[in-house]
Amino acid sequence: MTLLQYLSVAALLFGTGLYGLIQRRNLVAMLIALELMLASVSIAAMALTTYAGGDTSVGLVIALIIAGVAAAETAIALSLFVVIQRSTHSIDVEQLSELKG
Amino acid sequence: MTWGSAVFVVSTVTALLGALAAVGMRNIFHNILGFAVAMLGVSGLFLTLGADFLALVFILVYVGAVAIVMVYAVMLSQPLDQPPRPRSLLKIFGSALVAGFGGLAVWGVLRSAPWHPRGAPLRDSASAAGFRFLTDYVLAFELISVLLVVAMMGAVMITRRRAPAEGR
Repeated sequence: MTLLQYLSVAALLFGTGLYGLIQRRNLVAMLIALELMLASVSIAAMALTTYAGGDTSVGLVIALIIAGVAAAETAIALSLFVVIQRSTHSIDVEQLSELKG
Repeated sequence: MTWGSAVFVVSTVTALLGALAAVGMRNIFHNILGFAVAMLGVSGLFLTLGADFLALVFILVYVGAVAIVMVYAVMLSQPLDQPPRPRSLLKIFGSALVAGFGGLAVWGVLRSAPWHPRGAPLRDSASAAGFRFLTDYVLAFELISVLLVVAMMGAVMITRRRAPAEGR
């Protein structure tokens, strides 16, 4: 395997996640797409420090930090979605327009 | 074809098909299952990079925790019996265009940068990560711990139903 193959997989995953983030209207589906983009960044960091970097364990540290932050972000986001659903009975982003003038 | 490249191909196909299911299917429950499959594929990619500890962490955190919590949130929030609203074709084309350009831009930047290839696969990744986290990156490590505790307490506080006397 070459570095370019890993980077191509990461770019494809990133594009897929970006598509889902723009196109979906369900908040949970948008969160899933965001997690896919974060995972693609982890792949790129890991592949770059393995094949082209100075110290291979730095990519490991970056990917683990990304995983930790993503877990915290998921917990907060999902609890917010539950509260939003309780108050507006919908988690569709196009219906969350109460602040629109 | 060696074992390493076979694992790479299988993991790539799994990750990409799972990602397509995670963003493409209509049912939110199928999206979550596709996300779990995609994360299994990403873990396989980490295995081919020699980062076995990271692969296990990704399976534990994403397939084991995040996907399950998402299922819980969907059960608490999404009315699955309602028929989905029709998708607008214009939005699908627009987002495919933007995502295609975005992915191509990322790929172009990554491809054109002058990396210096150097083959030294990672050995003993768990102890390497532990050593790094307790020496050079100890501040990041502690901040992640604080962040996780705060996020856990915050999630409980946000979703807690208030007593009727307090009002909502």
